[in-house]
Amino acid sequence: MSLKKFSELFCDLDSINSTNNKIEVLKNYFLSNDPIDNSWAIYLLTGKSNKRFISGRYLKNLFSQIYEYPQWLIDTCYLKVGDSAEVITLLLKNKTNSRKKKLSNISLNELLSETIPALSKLNEDEKNLEIKNLWERLPEDYHLIFNKILTGTFRVGVSIGLITKSISKLINIDEEIISHRLMGNFKPSIDSYEFLINKNINLQELNSKPFPFLLANTIEDKIFKHSTNDFQFEWKYDGIRMQLIKRSGNVSLWTRGQELVNESFPELVEKMSHIKDDFVLDGELLVWNFKEQIAFDFSLLQKRINRKSPTRSIQLKYPIIFIAYDLLEINGRDIREIILENRRVELEKYFSKWQNKTENNISDIFKICDLIFPKDWHDALTYKEKSRENNTEGLIIKKKTSIYSSGRKKGIWWKYKVDPMQLDAVLIYAKGGSGRRAGLYTDYSFALWKDQELIKFASAYSGLTNIEIKELDKWIRKNTIEKFGPVRSLKPEMVFEISFEKIQISKRHKSGIAVRFPRITKWRKDKKINDADSLENAYELMKKIS
Amino acid sequence: MRTKQEYLIRYKDGNLYCELADIWIDPSKPVKKALITHAHFDHFTFGCEEYISTKETAILLKERVGDNIKIKTFEYGEEFKINGINISFHPSGHILGSSQIRFIFAEEKWLISGDFKLQKDQTCKQYEIVKTDYLISECTFGLPIFKWDESNKVANDISKWITNSPEKTSLLFCYSLGKAQRLLNEISQTNFKGNIYSHGSIHKMNNCYRELGIDIKDTIKIENKKKIDELKGSLILLPPSLSKGSYLKNFKNIQTAFASGWMSIRALRKRSGYDKGFAISDHADWDGILEVVKKSEAKNVFFHHGDSEALSKYLVEKESTNILLFGK
Repeated sequence: MSLKKFSELFCDLDSINSTNNKIEVLKNYFLSNDPIDNSWAIYLLTGKSNKRFISGRYLKNLFSQIYEYPQWLIDTCYLKVGDSAEVITLLLKNKTNSRKKKLSNISLNELLSETIPALSKLNEDEKNLEIKNLWERLPEDYHLIFNKILTGTFRVGVSIGLITKSISKLINIDEEIISHRLMGNFKPSIDSYEFLINKNINLQELNSKPFPFLLANTIEDKIFKHSTNDFQFEWKYDGIRMQLIKRSGNVSLWTRGQELVNESFPELVEKMSHIKDDFVLDGELLVWNFKEQIAFDFSLLQKRINRKSPTRSIQLKYPIIFIAYDLLEINGRDIREIILENRRVELEKYFSKWQNKTENNISDIFKICDLIFPKDWHDALTYKEKSRENNTEGLIIKKKTSIYSSGRKKGIWWKYKVDPMQLDAVLIYAKGGSGRRAGLYTDYSFALWKDQELIKFASAYSGLTNIEIKELDKWIRKNTIEKFGPVRSLKPEMVFEISFEKIQISKRHKSGIAVRFPRITKWRKDKKINDADSLENAYELMKKIS
Repeated sequence: MRTKQEYLIRYKDGNLYCELADIWIDPSKPVKKALITHAHFDHFTFGCEEYISTKETAILLKERVGDNIKIKTFEYGEEFKINGINISFHPSGHILGSSQIRFIFAEEKWLISGDFKLQKDQTCKQYEIVKTDYLISECTFGLPIFKWDESNKVANDISKWITNSPEKTSLLFCYSLGKAQRLLNEISQTNFKGNIYSHGSIHKMNNCYRELGIDIKDTIKIENKKKIDELKGSLILLPPSLSKGSYLKNFKNIQTAFASGWMSIRALRKRSGYDKGFAISDHADWDGILEVVKKSEAKNVFFHHGDSEALSKYLVEKESTNILLFGK
């Protein structure tokens, strides 16, 4: 099968918005291609192949050198396009009219298992020559894919879940099973593809299936009419919601996004496999500050989730904990129909049993969530306001008599989130976006007053609507004071309300403060720059919290 | 070196102006005398005392805005005199009737490119190379990432896009004057043989083209209450202004696309909100602009309508062209 089919698949997936249509297109692709090409397609589309053979910069330099193209011109083009592989693809158009025999029939398998790996064996000169040769011999339609694979930036609007869904539809087998098969070290081969589409399910696969997650709704006024005694109160952690499953001795960790993440957290899998009982727990995974017994920032957790098979030193640097909220199944018995109050009793019972009877100490990686007992709703509010101190986002309130159903069911669980902190700040710099936002100024820096001076305190690039982004982009172009490469300094005129979750002292910043997850929540066209907040206001905010 | 005021043609209030002839080119506000390069609305404004254009442009304009304008017409290549300046229209290949305008005064030649393209287009006259001393050129697509495919390739892609989804109604958005007719002409030569509908504004222009002797495929004027089943598998041409808002609710099970040069960039394609983008333009691409600069033999070049920074720098570095800047 030629690379043409895959190139068409890429174009189709790129231009289809509907999930169902994407699944249909993928299904048809898998049906009409060789197993080996299918396995490579899955490998690429699931992002398992983000290996970078050369950098985007290298690609641009190489093009500039071969075709005697000024570097500055390529850089200007980049600002419009936002992707090195695509810039070079566009610039290559009609540049490669060589008489060399075209590689029209090259397959995805050949390209990925032979042609590209062979590049890494060459010295730099040979490699450059070979890339040029490939540019000339590969049909134009394949250039984008080729350049993207080279630079390790192959991405298309397809999630691993979508691939899972389409294979599941293809062979009529539950998604969780496919997900399980896709997990781990998926090496493209005929065998790995045949295994993926095998219609016979083995017992171990069946055993790893998680339950549908139950989700919380935003707080509703009507619950304040009830007594707080009717509810169970927990801290709302900012981690990864998960089901921790142990059945027939095998542990599986499932995220809410139907992803199996055993490989990212091997120490948890290992420890939990020592427990004698089988179980399904609903809980949260966090990077934990054991000294202060609070969660670390979500940003530290990100260092773990994206890393498969973390080294021992990474495990020590970012120690994780699983905090169980709920027990859903115990030794093969589904207890989701038992009311929460009683499930909690079971959870506590088994937790203390496991703590005492497991050979390895599990308490350094696993605990059950602490409960809070507010006297009344005013007291609950006080707890909520305190949640920043222990790095939580507020409270989760659960009806004691509820059963564990699925989805965002009304009237069972609520989240009672702490309000974000806000400051009004002045827009002072803008930078061009990349990828989908290429050619627009979408990365903004904001400043607060200090005496008569505006001091930068935060950068944000989310929160505006597409229409607002366009409007602001126009304004930015008209009100630029100076350009430094992709950055423009702007006439101080626009005021924005910036919301953020945390504020702390930082020596690295000129402002002396750092904020977490800043985003734009309102374009304050009604405000003049003199109405913006000062650094003084920011310090006060900080004092109030600690 | 002359000062800006001494150039035969210069920028005044954001428009091209020839003081010696007291004449404006494509002015955006009412003036006494206006030369019109072509009949797109961003090159035309109501209320001028007198318009001068090619015959085709005049007919298209009257079709769009009514007979109530005073307009004088000339053939391509026909010279006329205003205040001792020889002026003539020359084909610019942009749309039917579109023109470059040449001024000759005291043996000094000036050329305003108007909107132009070099690509073949059976619905209008091919771009004519005109020699000049001073060139004022548009540069809408003044970066080398813009390199157009042959229009029949794009037409085949469009045809495939429609026929691959026979259950759907394919809505293709494009400018109603020029682009729509070019697309119709190209699509009629592809394998797509289904029904083609067009919006009233496009339908009107199609008829006008036909009256002017251009062979345009017959399309059905789209009625608001068409039966959905009838539209299955067919193509509907619509102006871009209808892509947002409630108009699309008239249809069920649709796929949408936009035909524009900007669609060659993936990020713009994604941001446009259309399902698909077809990169086809009635403006010159980078190579096209460079070719015109070269073949016109202009020693001095001005750019407008677009971001000219990179293009100017490139021409100065590579071709040692003298680039002049307009005070806007």
